[in-house]
Amino acid sequence: MSSGPAPGASRLDPEPMARRDFLGLASIWAAIAALVFATVGMIRLPKAAVLSSPSKKFRVNLPDSLAPGQAYVPPGRSVAVFRDAAGVYAISLVCTHLGCIVKSQAEGFECPCHGSRFKPDGEVAKGPAPKPLPWRKVAVAAGGFIVDEDVTVPPGTKVKA
Amino acid sequence: MSSPSSSPSALRTFAANLIGAPRRILQSAFRTGVPRTDRTRSTFVFSNVFLHLHPVRTHRWSLRWTATMGLGIAATAAFLVTLVTGVLLMCYYKPYPDVAYNSIKDIHFVVPTGRFIRNIHRWAANVMVVTVLLHMARVFFTGAYRKPREFNWLIGLALLAVTLGLSFTGYLLPWDQLAYWAITIGANIAQSPREVTDALGMTASFDPGGLQRQLLLGSDVVGAEALIRFYVLHVMALPLLLVLLLAVHFWRIRKDGGLTRPADADERLGPPPPDTYPVFTEAPTRTYHLAAIVRGRTEAVGRGPENTVPSMPHLFYAELGILMVTILVCLALAVVSDAPLKELADPSVPENPAKAPWYFLGLQELVSFSAFMGGIGIPAIVLAGLGLIPFLDREESGTGLWFGGPGGRSLVFKAMLVGLGAAIGIEVIVIRYGWLREWFPKIPQLAITFCNSGTILATAYGLFSIWLVRRHRSTRAGAVGLFTCFLCGFVVLTIIGTYFRGPNWVFYWSPNDWPKH
Amino acid sequence: MNKNKHLLLWSSLGALALLVTASVQENFLKDWRVTQGGVRAEAGPIDVRLRQIIVPGLKATDRCVTCHVGMAPGEQGATGSQVAQAHKPLVHDPADYGCTVCHGGQGLATEKADAHGDVHFWPEPMIPIRFAQAGCGSCHTYAGVPEEKQLSHARNLVERYDCLVCHRVDGRGGTLRPIGTGGMEGPDLSRVGASGWDKNWYDKHLQKTREATDRRWTDSFGPVNKTDLDRINSFLATRVAAPRLVEAASLFHSLGCRGCHKVGGVGGDDGPDLTHEGEKDPGRLDFAHVPGEPTLANWLAQHFRVPAEVVPNSRMPAMGLDENQIELLTLSMLSLRRGDYPGTYWPKDRLRTERLGEREFAVDSATLFGTFCSGCHGLRGEGMRYPGVPPFPAIANPDFLALASDEFIAATIKQGRPGRRMSAWGDPASGLRPAEVPAVVSYLRQMGNTSAPAPDIRPARWAKRDVADGASLFAANCQGCHGDKGQGIEGPALHNKTLLDNATDTYLSETISRGRRGTAMIAFAQPSTVHPALTPAEIESIVSFIRTWERP
Repeated sequence: MSSGPAPGASRLDPEPMARRDFLGLASIWAAIAALVFATVGMIRLPKAAVLSSPSKKFRVNLPDSLAPGQAYVPPGRSVAVFRDAAGVYAISLVCTHLGCIVKSQAEGFECPCHGSRFKPDGEVAKGPAPKPLPWRKVAVAAGGFIVDEDVTVPPGTKVKA
Repeated sequence: MSSPSSSPSALRTFAANLIGAPRRILQSAFRTGVPRTDRTRSTFVFSNVFLHLHPVRTHRWSLRWTATMGLGIAATAAFLVTLVTGVLLMCYYKPYPDVAYNSIKDIHFVVPTGRFIRNIHRWAANVMVVTVLLHMARVFFTGAYRKPREFNWLIGLALLAVTLGLSFTGYLLPWDQLAYWAITIGANIAQSPREVTDALGMTASFDPGGLQRQLLLGSDVVGAEALIRFYVLHVMALPLLLVLLLAVHFWRIRKDGGLTRPADADERLGPPPPDTYPVFTEAPTRTYHLAAIVRGRTEAVGRGPENTVPSMPHLFYAELGILMVTILVCLALAVVSDAPLKELADPSVPENPAKAPWYFLGLQELVSFSAFMGGIGIPAIVLAGLGLIPFLDREESGTGLWFGGPGGRSLVFKAMLVGLGAAIGIEVIVIRYGWLREWFPKIPQLAITFCNSGTILATAYGLFSIWLVRRHRSTRAGAVGLFTCFLCGFVVLTIIGTYFRGPNWVFYWSPNDWPKH
Repeated sequence: MNKNKHLLLWSSLGALALLVTASVQENFLKDWRVTQGGVRAEAGPIDVRLRQIIVPGLKATDRCVTCHVGMAPGEQGATGSQVAQAHKPLVHDPADYGCTVCHGGQGLATEKADAHGDVHFWPEPMIPIRFAQAGCGSCHTYAGVPEEKQLSHARNLVERYDCLVCHRVDGRGGTLRPIGTGGMEGPDLSRVGASGWDKNWYDKHLQKTREATDRRWTDSFGPVNKTDLDRINSFLATRVAAPRLVEAASLFHSLGCRGCHKVGGVGGDDGPDLTHEGEKDPGRLDFAHVPGEPTLANWLAQHFRVPAEVVPNSRMPAMGLDENQIELLTLSMLSLRRGDYPGTYWPKDRLRTERLGEREFAVDSATLFGTFCSGCHGLRGEGMRYPGVPPFPAIANPDFLALASDEFIAATIKQGRPGRRMSAWGDPASGLRPAEVPAVVSYLRQMGNTSAPAPDIRPARWAKRDVADGASLFAANCQGCHGDKGQGIEGPALHNKTLLDNATDTYLSETISRGRRGTAMIAFAQPSTVHPALTPAEIESIVSFIRTWERP
């Protein structure tokens, strides 16, 4: 509450508060702090901690009949696994342009959405795609291989059984 | 920010405008200045769309804690908390029977802060129901429903119904055994008019009970249709309705002249603190935001403004304080107690006992005596009675004071005794000795519909109230007696329904005595 | 107004404190975060986040791997904490099946007690680890498991013939090849029952013995006779990498449990259907008389010990089982799960038993007897006496077998004794199939060491004496055990349709004359200390009286 009006000033516009109100300020700031903390905490909620899609690391058992250069796409996955004399490698099938799934052909990969073409090693041959198809990490595990779609490795990385 | 030369170049002006833009953006939003003077405090309130629902100046009586206990604000605060937490929960909850339960488990276990938010939501909902009921009691006992506030009382009753509806619709969403069977009971209570139409043989042609249940569930069993209906009601329809009604409720508070105070409030308050001073004691030179000049009196004319204080900061400290206390209570409860989640709903395994949400357990106790009376009859009588109170009690003595009016505190005390005694008494008789169906197995159902614990209790309260009207020669005394009796009856029945009813709704002193399944 | 400021200040600080507490609990103190903090992978510390295995076909979302990091796909190298170690080598990769299919528990949970299902309101707690093989029963059923004596005999043969010198079976045996050649001498046979084995193995082994110059072959393999060879093959058929489970199933098929209980639609009706016994919700069971933790395993075990205490009004007698048998039977009960999974996940044995009609038990005569009959009639057909229940007859009794023709026994098995505890086992869906009944009959003869009687030259009904005499003789001599209306008390019910339809008068009179050794039925044609001998005429009157019960 303020003190009475200064002489001469209108009664509608008296002196502002002379004394700082520590209790009032402290309480307001405490409330603001609590509400801000709560808001920050609540903002964390919408970002999911787990996704409902299956794990990005998965086991692959290559069929024995897989020829070199022939792609094996595990069911429900968007990565192609190849095996040749140098070893096993995996190339992502997600087009680097806007994310459509490319098809593996004999001469490389072809994207049905905007016509991007990639060479068999993932390099861009033609089309609006800006970057080559990334190679994904393959590791050996008992009885098969583990492909990790989250980890990118330099092109040409092949793993022997 | 113009340059020293008389006509600055256009580019300089542009640059100066760009640099000054942030400050001007702020100024365009906040135009009133720091609220340190009376004028700036006033404009702070009425220039702000969110705050201008408040009066610029508040009467000192209204700010007394005992005037309202802050219950209305607490109820609104609880609603805000449920609103915010509810929207967050909507990011993850899926309203279809196959996935609803697992989505709640996900919220509990893997969503960041999910468990905490869900707990807060559930506790805030309970706090909201409790504060709303206490607020209604406060308004009644201070006579704050009297002219000119009758319509606001009715809006308040509508708000009560919507609040209970929100709680009830939310109860089903987890789709666990607790939810499923509670809503099955609720839907069957909605069907209870059948008790009467069956006894009269009219059900084939006139079946309001069946219609109510069908509308509620969208089907003849509690299933996916019921879940999606309840979900839509819970997240959209009822909150919207609540906000609309709240807007009307707050508007009416302003138009009815603020919170109720006794006619002699100024004497009771005593002299104002030394550093207050009268406002508007000189002729105003500017009329701020003058809307119109009308004939007649406004409620505020006829009383000096000397006993009002600026809402900013007095009222807002009080409101903010209550908001934070409500938040604190909800947080504390959420930290110590998890929201319940039983097994997945299984229509083939009824919960025994299947209990409605706690605020309906008193009703469920009555329903165990007669479906119609407990489900429709007595609630309708109670609602009608509550709605009629402001129109039956036209007295003016005691408005604004707790337990004001003829009889005063001792009347309330006596009514409490009568209310508790009658409720406990009739319950003891029924539990110990049974009722008409046990004594006369062939008696027609209609006899029980009209003569059961609920109707007997209601009649007893009614007769007591009429006796009070005659004795005190005052409708208010009767109303106080009746309201107090019903409050006590509600409490007794709810406690019995919560703690002392076990499988098959049999009376047990403790859950340890329940028979093992 | 100061009061309001204080209200605001202290409630805000309180709220802030609670928020900080909650935030610390969430971000630092959660059990799984603490566990993961101590885990390292080969490349360095693992990244601390929730992990889960999702198998849409099984509707499984298993977050067990949040703490059991080493079992998550691709994280087998994790070290540092006991909880995080990799799974033991097993047949089914958790990445393909999840964890809860085999182990039970609450996959959605991330706290230990909730995840293990040891909380109220989770109906499927984790199976205790010592019963872990029960999890196989989520998808698998048994196929062709023999009764226990045959199984243990076959197991002994494998030991005695030194198969384990070269082959590993269920974690025992096998020899490494000399250094440089790599591998084991012979393949691991623990799973051959499921994966199949070369049926010509014996001939090939013999050939190798003859042709090889290597001492490993010439010295360690030799001829095996046909019976033992068949036994060894039947043993191999039961090797499915779950030896204890097979032992438990075998015990189940020796004690006659199906005599009263149905499993998979096959069995008797006296007791409840056990097909999903392993999935029972412990929250709905009564643990008032079960000591120890309120778990399904404890309830089952105690029920085996004293059924009538655990289930009031239970008709199941206390079988007098020892603790090892109880442990095995509990395992077999816990394995009765048979989840409702899509057909693509059904293993071959379940397809064979549930779709193609193969039996879960071996169909040799001993196993058939052990599966259906031994619970009531005794492990050797000697009859059983349980408290409070009429005794079950000795069906391998030589005196009975000497008089009962194969047709009589077969008819009794198929039609049962209506109104008594002997069910009609002739229904091929729930009982014995037509080809199996003669096998049971021949096993009885084998146990009683008595062949079928010579065909009766007299007609089925030849008794024609005075019924009134027969009635009084019956009252004097027979009704004490057989009841005054032939309803059966200590002795079998004589006033019974299937008995009277199938028994000849010769059978009845000879039984009365000769009695049955070792039972309460004495030879009435011989004098005893309490009554004189009955003459053949008197016996014929009794038979005539008994025959009056045939008329309605």
